[in-house]
Amino acid sequence: MTEEERPRRDVWNLVAELTYRCPLRCPYCSNPLALREFPEALAADDWARVFREAAALGAVHVGLTGGEPTTRRDLGEIVRSAAGAGLYTHLVTAGLPIDAAGLRALRDAGLRSVQVSVQDAEATTSDEVAGTACFSKKLAFAREVRALALPLTLNVVLHRRNLDRVRELIALARALDADRLELANTQYQGWALANRAALMPTREQLELAARVVAEERARAGRPEILFVLPDYFRDRPKPCMGGWARTHVVVTPDGRVLPCHGAAELPLEFWSVRERTLGACWREAPGMNAFRGEGWMQEPCRSCPERSRDFGGCRCQAFALVGDAAATDPACSLSPRHALVSAARDAPPASGWRYRTM
Amino acid sequence: MTAREAQGRGASASTDESAGEPRPAQRAEGERSRELEARLRRILDERYHHRHPFNVRLHGGRCTPDEVRRWIRNRYYYQTRIPIKDGLILTKSEDQGFRRGWIRRIRDHDGDEARTGGLELWLRLAEAAGLERGEVASLRGVLPGVRRACDAYVEFVARQDLLASVASSLTELAAGPFLAERAAAFRKHYRWIEEAGLAYFVSRTTQAPRDAEEGVAYVLANAKTPADQDRCTAALERKCEILWALLDGVEWGGRAPRLAAAALLREEADGGVVVLPERAVRVSPSGREILALCDGARSVESVAGALREHHPENGSVERDVYDFVERMQGLGVLALAETGK
Repeated sequence: MTEEERPRRDVWNLVAELTYRCPLRCPYCSNPLALREFPEALAADDWARVFREAAALGAVHVGLTGGEPTTRRDLGEIVRSAAGAGLYTHLVTAGLPIDAAGLRALRDAGLRSVQVSVQDAEATTSDEVAGTACFSKKLAFAREVRALALPLTLNVVLHRRNLDRVRELIALARALDADRLELANTQYQGWALANRAALMPTREQLELAARVVAEERARAGRPEILFVLPDYFRDRPKPCMGGWARTHVVVTPDGRVLPCHGAAELPLEFWSVRERTLGACWREAPGMNAFRGEGWMQEPCRSCPERSRDFGGCRCQAFALVGDAAATDPACSLSPRHALVSAARDAPPASGWRYRTM
Repeated sequence: MTAREAQGRGASASTDESAGEPRPAQRAEGERSRELEARLRRILDERYHHRHPFNVRLHGGRCTPDEVRRWIRNRYYYQTRIPIKDGLILTKSEDQGFRRGWIRRIRDHDGDEARTGGLELWLRLAEAAGLERGEVASLRGVLPGVRRACDAYVEFVARQDLLASVASSLTELAAGPFLAERAAAFRKHYRWIEEAGLAYFVSRTTQAPRDAEEGVAYVLANAKTPADQDRCTAALERKCEILWALLDGVEWGGRAPRLAAAALLREEADGGVVVLPERAVRVSPSGREILALCDGARSVESVAGALREHHPENGSVERDVYDFVERMQGLGVLALAETGK
């Protein structure tokens, strides 16, 4: 989520991870490797309270995600309470198991927009990545979204095996009448880090994709195409989440309050909405305050003129690669540990990957 | 040949530049001229309307036939202002030589016994594009924003002295290659317009560089003080703004903005927030005022007109509206529909 100006409120966006369950097994899933469905997952009533508290903190938007949120039978109730709290409700789904009737029910409950993922531009390769046959179901669902005149975002995670088909993906988004196409280069967190050697693209692939995107953007208004070069191929890190615990708040299926999807894997103390209000978890949990502002920074970030632009990069990536969550993100070429990234980038590709399991 | 050489042969021909090392005074003068010309060219590089989004689309072949026709119909009003502006410039000069040279520009546009003028060639372009000549010549369909931009040019020249008026004409410096590119773009992308219709562009590719050469020689020879030079660069900047505003008028006039289907406007104490999938855009109170008028029925022109009435104290209010609408369209907040005007 981007804002035109600096935020003047505590939270802009709530990421509500409604479940870890998912019928897909994508090898780049950003969920933690050691996850399990907590029996004590938040109930719809709990979520209703979280939405009200998020709105009170200033949130204007909620991403209903997971896992696969449409595996929850009470999703209609959840959407209704989010819309009732005044939040813009954006569903992030694989397009299954939900069907057309389910979508209409969500629309009637106050759903405002839908993101559908595909794994590639055609069935065989898309299904191979998803680890299950689902491509035609996804397309049918995406058409239902537009048939109900809901805004459609098509999302594709890009990697070595599909990056050469960016033009076909843009054509698919046009054919589906998508409003936006997110061409999201793999970020190496969670399962993606475990499968990094099989997913890592070449620089040539990325440069060609960037050229195709530039050509297609020049062609016509729709869809809006989002594409940024991945941090492994740039000299500077990404401004992860717009800064740690600054504008986005993530609530996990079991109620933990995090600054991003990956932070659960860091050795930090986060709190849960089961025990406290969302506001307390957001403002006061030690983990949330660990990397707010700039006081925690080490060199070279501490004296870097770009520190307020990229916030030192991604804390989870620093922890996963360097072993120190307060280190400069090694994706930055100024990091003394940048070789960890450049070596992985230039390593010979692996052929197989591990599918996500629960 | 560059304008620099033109100056050597023309305005400062009294100094013999081939006679060994120039004296310090001459060298200083040469330095001053070079700096001024570089400043003028930099302004054109950055602000000439070749960079305007509408022009980029026009030359890239991405305009619809209706958009091309709208541009031709509206731009004709600018064409009709050129000889009037040049007439005003003539009245400012006491120099027969200057007037004899400058009056040719009026003949270039109005024509004479020997040749067809630019205004007639433009009407032929309009006919080749399927427009009715009499309708275009009547100026009835000219969009208000375009009319204001063109009138602003004439008023500007009327108020300025000779030097600044001539400086404002130096957009001609960029026009030669620009019009050659335009002719090529039309041949490639808009084949439904017959070659005969492109005669205006072809004639200007030779006229414009000649006009520019004379104009720049005059300015370099006569802008002697730093204050003069600043007035010249300011005049050229103003002219670039006017050409830009003309294309804003063409681009936006006749299109009706409305809040995009995906967008939700939240009114807040200090303005508003527009929420979209994965994006929130904060708008100021005046931005919210503009958005409230974007109902899919009012054209951008009439939104800008309403804002002008509400805020007569703000001289740039229309430009602000066009900029805001363009930015909001880029962010997905506003969608634009053709109103068919």
